Amino acid sequence: MERFLSDWPDLAPGMIDGLLAPPAFIAGAGSTNTYIHQRLAGRLGIQPRFAETLNAGATYGAMVSRAVLAIEAGLCNAVLCVGVGKFPSVHADGAAISTLVGDPEFELCYGASIPAMYAMVAQRFMHRRGTTRDQLSAVAVSAREWALTNPDAYMHGRGPLTLADVPASRPIATPFHRFDCSVPCEGGGALLIVKGASVDRASTSAAYIVGIGETHYHAPISEIAEPTATGLAECAQQAFKMSGLSPKQISIAQLYDAFTITPIMQLEEFGFVEPGAGGEFFESDATGPGGTLPVNTFGGLLSFGHTGDSSGMSFFVEAAQQVMGLAGKRQVDNVDTALVHTYGGILTDNVTVILRREP
Amino acid sequence: MLRLQRCRNCQAAIHYPRRWCPKCWSTDLDHFDARGTGVVITYTIVHQSPFEAFDAYTPYVLAIVQLDEGPTMLTNIVGPGAMEVAIGDPVEVRFEKRNGWTVIPQFERARSKD
Repeated sequence: MERFLSDWPDLAPGMIDGLLAPPAFIAGAGSTNTYIHQRLAGRLGIQPRFAETLNAGATYGAMVSRAVLAIEAGLCNAVLCVGVGKFPSVHADGAAISTLVGDPEFELCYGASIPAMYAMVAQRFMHRRGTTRDQLSAVAVSAREWALTNPDAYMHGRGPLTLADVPASRPIATPFHRFDCSVPCEGGGALLIVKGASVDRASTSAAYIVGIGETHYHAPISEIAEPTATGLAECAQQAFKMSGLSPKQISIAQLYDAFTITPIMQLEEFGFVEPGAGGEFFESDATGPGGTLPVNTFGGLLSFGHTGDSSGMSFFVEAAQQVMGLAGKRQVDNVDTALVHTYGGILTDNVTVILRREP
Repeated sequence: MLRLQRCRNCQAAIHYPRRWCPKCWSTDLDHFDARGTGVVITYTIVHQSPFEAFDAYTPYVLAIVQLDEGPTMLTNIVGPGAMEVAIGDPVEVRFEKRNGWTVIPQFERARSKD
């Protein structure tokens, strides 16, 4: 918050009349406190007409969508969206988290965990679409390339990653090794979403929200006969339809990457490439600095880091800064549009948002 | 015997058991004896245990199996050749007694019948 307020000195408490916060107990590890917005409003000295603590966690697209809905409904004009979090300790808190995404009675007893469940989705996707081990590695390598341009990225000082480094790292659950998984850390971010007409008061540049999509297809992943049929495709289709844009018109993509398989799945399911061609796309350097479709230009969860209850926020902050021309050393040339996709659970909750430089 | 729930209204076979049918919301549900056979949809070999209770079991196979009757379920693949399991393998249910008081279904790779 300090950084947000110092980056935007023209903001004042009276300008904010909406507030959305995550259930992080002031950078705590995955709490379900749904009253954070009350404490934050008090600290900020604001009296919002629209406020809630959302279980955003990963799916910050839901937070952005709710802010837009409130503004469009005339409830408020300026919604401050805050993300803060700390990735919980994998082993110690693994049980608690696993009960949230898998059925506690019928799944926990088999030793299910989030990485293992995503690993099963990855195996099925690789089986159906032909994605290779090297292509998974290419996703991690691409994320690290971007992290090397971003001093805020957790892996910024660790040097480049090679394809061979990924399967050489500690095995987690086939096909995943350590570097196929996001890096745990803590952090946060914030967005101010305002009614189009009041942009000039807050900032000299803006990123306009021109399309939103949302799907929720299943709860436990074991419930669906085809683990790769997750609602990703329909979600992005909704956002493209609302915005009137197609994949070809997207300048950059911020694709939630807790594991190396998911950016590949998103590229294919969203129609950026043909089915089966997502892995190759990452291998071709198209997603890295200087590429034709830069992906996760801040380093992604894989190399910027997974900030627990704020993880999804990182994608939105980066997309907005790129569209607004504020990304410094990471700035991609001629960014007109950005697609942001965040998902939660085991590809359970999906939200796609498309941003554009002009309304 | 592996028991599954069935909706008497729309005939859907259901797992995990619920208070109402996920297809038609009927509460006219009963159970039946399933065949206990199915096919591996996907799997993973878990090397890093998610929590302490499972440390001693690694590496183990976590899988999603589709039963002949339609429903899918999470399970482990146990028994001979478990580590060599592949997508599409036929499997059969086995029951594992755990903690001395509970029994959970597990699946083994089906042996080919001559």
